[in-house]
Amino acid sequence: MKILAFDTSNKPLSVAVVVDGKVLAHLESTEKKTHSVTILPDIKKALTESNLTINDIDLIAVAKGPGSYTGVRIAVTVAKTLADTLHKNLVGVSSLELLAADGDKAHILVPLMDARNDNAFAGVYQNSRDKFVSIIGDHHTSMEKLFEALKEYDENQLEFINATPRLQELIQNQFPNAKIITVEDSLPDAAKLAKLAESKKPVTDIDDFIPTYLRLTQAEHDWYAKGHKDDGNVSYVEEV
Amino acid sequence: MEKDTLILSFESSCDETSVAVIKNGKEILSNIIATQIKSHQRFGGVVPEVASRHHVEEVTKCIDLALDKAKVSYENLDAVAVTYGPGLVGSLLIGIMAAKTVAFAHNLPLIKVNHLAGHIYSANFVTELQYPFMSLLVSGGHTELVLVTAPGVFHTLGDTRDDAVGEAYDKIGRVLGINYPAGKKVDEMAAVGNDTFNFPRAMVQEDNLDFSFSGLKSAFINTVHHADQVNEELNKDDLAASFQGAVLDILVNKTFKALKLHPVKQLIVGGGVSANQGLRKRLAEEIEKRNMDMELVFPPLRLCGDNAAMIGAMAQIQYDKGDFAELDLNADPSLDFDME
Ligand SMILES: [Zn+2]
Repeated sequence: MKILAFDTSNKPLSVAVVVDGKVLAHLESTEKKTHSVTILPDIKKALTESNLTINDIDLIAVAKGPGSYTGVRIAVTVAKTLADTLHKNLVGVSSLELLAADGDKAHILVPLMDARNDNAFAGVYQNSRDKFVSIIGDHHTSMEKLFEALKEYDENQLEFINATPRLQELIQNQFPNAKIITVEDSLPDAAKLAKLAESKKPVTDIDDFIPTYLRLTQAEHDWYAKGHKDDGNVSYVEEV
Repeated sequence: MEKDTLILSFESSCDETSVAVIKNGKEILSNIIATQIKSHQRFGGVVPEVASRHHVEEVTKCIDLALDKAKVSYENLDAVAVTYGPGLVGSLLIGIMAAKTVAFAHNLPLIKVNHLAGHIYSANFVTELQYPFMSLLVSGGHTELVLVTAPGVFHTLGDTRDDAVGEAYDKIGRVLGINYPAGKKVDEMAAVGNDTFNFPRAMVQEDNLDFSFSGLKSAFINTVHHADQVNEELNKDDLAASFQGAVLDILVNKTFKALKLHPVKQLIVGGGVSANQGLRKRLAEEIEKRNMDMELVFPPLRLCGDNAAMIGAMAQIQYDKGDFAELDLNADPSLDFDME
């Protein structure tokens, strides 16, 4: 199986071409350049390095969030458009699961994305024979609530991944013995993404494939908070 | 006979996701427009983050529909075109990513189009353009006078110093209790009301070709608030007519000033506000009054708002010039003619 995988949900951009488990190309860029500029040239470069064309690819794998809203949208738009326009299979993998794949095998893995104000997008995963089993689903949470949920585990078994300095400080206060991989040391790896995608079912409706935001926009949140309700099957977007 | 050119074009600069197939820059084979108005009406205006999310939901559907409706496949296409500015960055990026992906996947040249140029060239579907021509761009984001001296050669003569005209409509619409977008309703009310309030006509005395609508907007809002405070009931139709009367005076004044400096054979009006019936009527009257031998061109109503067909019309000119973009194309939210 020939897989093209890419992730733009974090600062680094990662693109990989993996054929039958073998990594043929792997581009990582931590440059300041925006993902919208570099992603297609990088995909092109990765394919050239692999001596493949986009038509040879069997499966598109993409990290679908949560993460930077714009970043995730860029990767998801490229992925769904590629899959749609070339009739390729498409698999979306949780960006948190991808971070978990960076963790130590012996631990309870807690991948994080800092969502500011001591909140985070977080999941809890356990590594079972190189498959990452979700124990607590990806969600948006205060760090306080997350710590509460993690209290049942031995803190020596906990490994937090992708912690910003502020999150690191909070974790160290709560679980001084937990292992922490910082943002600097955590590099989401598209080659791992390809491997994770291989065992997942492709999406059935490419049009309906959207990022996993795990949070409403502020405007929608406020709108619902005022007691508004969607009236049944109302469609907010219509063709004219 | 020369070979036909087919361009697949994308537009996503604000709250419409649109994909079109255009033949030779003149013929619309398809023009799919998915509008988000109902979504943003919940918030009284366009929320950028919501707009961007909707674009991701719609974009592949629009591509497939556009090709289906045009009865063409990727092998028939000659190029892919996309709006790269001005507009909301999060919205622009979705159309840009989708267009770049299609261009890359099918090895097609990519054309980056200025949204404002697109509005001007929507006239290409209506008439044979004769250079130089004058263009009045009126929308929720822009109010500009642009002289077009040759295909794709633009000179901005005047711009708004504050609010865009469509923006002013939305703001006073809110005061009248009209939901966004307010332009159509205010236009209808103005048609039955009378201009009794004598709102200020900003900058019509000045020599330049720039516009200003914030003074008018403030005068309007102050008038309504003052009446509220003294419990006086104002006639809303008259308020609308007075507002629109001032807007049209300002637009007419500056447009004909520009036409005096640069006599042309065509006046092209484009952008969302070009759907305004009061504006259409007034400009026609002013031309007749002055006995001018000049064609007045409005896009059909469907092409007044944002759409990908107009992007395809402009893209054809760039295609003919060999003006192509690369896969590292990025959005330029504050793009203007002078920056090119
Ligand atoms: Zn527009």
